[in-house]
Amino acid sequence: MPQRTLRFKIRQDGQVEETVEGLVGEACIHLTEKLEAALGSVEQRKSTSEAFLREEVQKQTIPVKNH
Amino acid sequence: MSHFSTVKTQLRKKEHLKQALLDLGYVPQEGQNLVRGFRGQTVLAEMTVKMNTGGDIGFRWNQGSKSYELVTDLDLWKQSIPVERFLSQLTQRYALNTVLATTAQEGFQIAEEKKNIDGSIELVVTRWDS
Repeated sequence: MPQRTLRFKIRQDGQVEETVEGLVGEACIHLTEKLEAALGSVEQRKSTSEAFLREEVQKQTIPVKNH
Repeated sequence: MSHFSTVKTQLRKKEHLKQALLDLGYVPQEGQNLVRGFRGQTVLAEMTVKMNTGGDIGFRWNQGSKSYELVTDLDLWKQSIPVERFLSQLTQRYALNTVLATTAQEGFQIAEEKKNIDGSIELVVTRWDS
């Protein structure tokens, strides 16, 4: 059972940076979309290579913005 | 001549804007209300904060930018911080409330929340997936 961890840094001007640890696939994109609907934009970083993998047998690249 | 100024913001969701204002110690009123300015001039806004001294603070929905804009009479600004600082504090609280609410909806729990020396807020949330 994997633990999904998200780190957020909310800067003084309200800009949000999101760092994903081990959260993969559609759930991640879904969450970020919801945040962007309310925040306008979210800077996203991927901290581990796990974020590129959906399952061990299936490889998936997630189309997110990198800043 | 109107003395009201409008300032564009990234504030989009009413409930998070309301909570952010409450967090900063302001008491917002929802619904169409008048924002009072110089010499009894008024303008309508969807969320308003009535001030005992100085002009009121209002937030008016801008359909074009899909966000609330701040509307107030800047000549009457009597807050302890400048309007730019007020807006950035408000936007930070708004962002924090948005992240807390959205991640909670998705089943995440707060593991850590801390304030950094530079004024930024760090938040770590986790969820166990089956």
